[in-house]
Amino acid sequence: MTRRATAGLLAVFAFALAGCAPVSGTTIPQVSADVPAPAGAAEVTSPPPAPVQSCPNLLASRRPPSPMPAPGQMPAGSTMAKIVQYGKLRVGVDQNTYNVGFRDPLNGRIQGFDIDMAHAIAKALFGDPDKIELHAITSAQRIPMLQSGEIDIVVRTMSITCDRLQQVDFSAVYYDAKQRILVKTNSAIQGAADLGGKRVCATNGSTSLSRIAALAAKPVAIGVPDWTDCLVMLQQGQVDAVSTDDVILAGMAAQDPYTRVVGDPLADEPYGIAIPQHKEDFVRFVNGVLAEIEADGTWTAAYQRWLGSLLPGAAPAPPAPQYRD
Amino acid sequence: MTATTAERRVREFTTLARTTPGILGGFAVALVAVALLAGAFSGLSVQSRAQALDDLATRSGPLSVAAQEIYRSLSDADATATGALLSGGLEPAETRKRYEDDIAQATTALAIAVAAEEPADITPGSALATLSQQLPQYAGVVETARANNRQGLPVGGSYQGEATHLLRATLLPAAQELYRAEAGRVDTDQDRAGAFPVVELLLGLLVLGALVAAQVVLRRRTNRVFNLGLLAATAAGLVWLVWTLTAGFVVMADVGDSRTQGSAQVDVLAQARISTLAARADETLTLVNPGNGKSYQDDYVTVSRKLGTLLATAGSLATSQDVQAKIDAAKADSTAWANAHDALRKADDGGDHGKAVALALGDAGATFDRVDADLQGAIEQTRQAFSANVSAAEGALAGTVVGVSVLAVLVAVGSVAGIWRRLKEYR
Repeated sequence: MTRRATAGLLAVFAFALAGCAPVSGTTIPQVSADVPAPAGAAEVTSPPPAPVQSCPNLLASRRPPSPMPAPGQMPAGSTMAKIVQYGKLRVGVDQNTYNVGFRDPLNGRIQGFDIDMAHAIAKALFGDPDKIELHAITSAQRIPMLQSGEIDIVVRTMSITCDRLQQVDFSAVYYDAKQRILVKTNSAIQGAADLGGKRVCATNGSTSLSRIAALAAKPVAIGVPDWTDCLVMLQQGQVDAVSTDDVILAGMAAQDPYTRVVGDPLADEPYGIAIPQHKEDFVRFVNGVLAEIEADGTWTAAYQRWLGSLLPGAAPAPPAPQYRD
Repeated sequence: MTATTAERRVREFTTLARTTPGILGGFAVALVAVALLAGAFSGLSVQSRAQALDDLATRSGPLSVAAQEIYRSLSDADATATGALLSGGLEPAETRKRYEDDIAQATTALAIAVAAEEPADITPGSALATLSQQLPQYAGVVETARANNRQGLPVGGSYQGEATHLLRATLLPAAQELYRAEAGRVDTDQDRAGAFPVVELLLGLLVLGALVAAQVVLRRRTNRVFNLGLLAATAAGLVWLVWTLTAGFVVMADVGDSRTQGSAQVDVLAQARISTLAARADETLTLVNPGNGKSYQDDYVTVSRKLGTLLATAGSLATSQDVQAKIDAAKADSTAWANAHDALRKADDGGDHGKAVALALGDAGATFDRVDADLQGAIEQTRQAFSANVSAAEGALAGTVVGVSVLAVLVAVGSVAGIWRRLKEYR
């Protein structure tokens, strides 16, 4: 207390010596909010090369073997035999696309239409649909992880394109998707022509993103790592629309009743199962499995379970396979 | 006319100054001036030292703790929220409580840190402004994630991802910046408080020198050996010098101890704790966001290696048995954690996500909590050592300013009284 009193006296003394310092008023700065965005979300400044429009036999894959080998009895030395020897099928999947490939928060498991396809292949290989390792990957990781051999196949809303065929092989088409546009229900956007100057979201490395960037109306393309990041940005008003395959959009619309799908399809997105190159025997085997599940009703059951409630109309017929021997 | 008067007065004064009474009178005036000025400046120097100690005890010391607490609780909040996401839609009550407590802790520590600043220093873009603005944003996004997750909608995971990104890219760097700034202030305050008492030494010597000179002159001029007043003044001057020097040296030693036994160790331990939290966050994120799992796992490896180095450094700096024991426990527990983490990664890489999640919420989580508790205990003890040393230093300075003031007056009074006695003989 005495020390403080002395300090006070000395301070008064010092003030008298220095003269009174000018008192400046505090102004409250005007600030605007920094809105958080998903990690890795960025405007596409240099658009990815537009997809090659046509190439011969785009959708024609390899004809299935006849007869199909029985589960657990794969031909010696085949790719399938190696997978059976490893003990599990390693599949690259999505964990963020509702009802196609998503992790159900209620039970923590990845499930959906794509995942049913993967289980069908595991069942044909092992006789047990659960001999499977699901690796959740981003769109951009699909081709690199196949090429590095970390996974055997990718079943992840992956469209067959001429560009991708130069890097990986594809099965026959297992689902015919169409690229469309998702907006909030109060949006004025009616179709692709209204997207001029609007911010439109798609995942990095997807065909949708290239196509948005190449649209004549010149929207601003926003790339994100995962599809649901687009829904987050749409709900937060950071993008005006999401444009991608109808199944993915339907999954988003199912999570947010204040969104709707608008406009005519922008493009066909034929989904195939991607397999590393130079594994022709495995491509044939996978096509055999697809032909089987399309014939025995497994495909239709999976459609009805996962997509029937999201997409209008009755379950379509499975896509007709095209083969080039 | 005026000039002549002035000249005559100067001549009279110089003549008087050459006489013994004149010289003695001059000495009296000089001694009073020296004693009072030296007393004032010596007191100011001691006071600034006391102020630095007061800052250490009440400002920079506690604020560096607050800054570290902001970092810790935010980091833990995110690891907890992300872990809750892993456990499914029905998050356990204790997880929710832990998250809420973390946010409450972070906001309280932030309020304390903000209150210690001048309003004008909270400029947009500064660490405190960023934390104040973005923390509510963060909590909002986490709640959106929870609401969606509760309905079984995968978009909840993406909201949590956005919140985590906000935390790691914006909030934690700001908290880190704040901590570095406050730790820097602790260092500066220690430098100020623990400086060599050079002002006290020089001023004390000046006073003593002036008193000795006065007595030498007095003896020559009056042939008296002892002058009681001046002797008393000299004694007071000696006490003054010894007191300020002793206090200065004790404070130097205590402040040095507050560094070696306190803040230097706290700094390393705090960094170790931050690394622990970062590694835990990485571990959880590899499971939530497998698409970027590799980058999180790489970061985990880097961070846990850093943790090992920091624990080794902390061990070599430790000055007490208790702290050493806590650090040894942290080392052992972090090894157990690394093993649990390896098992977790093995399960996840093998596609057994369910087992990996169970390990993350079970073994790995429990060992992480132990490492964190060990480090917290060690930090607590080193902080106590810091506070004890700072208050010991404050104790050493207690009353010094008052003492110096009184002694300065005594020197002045003694000098005047002593010289007055001699001057009276000339009447």
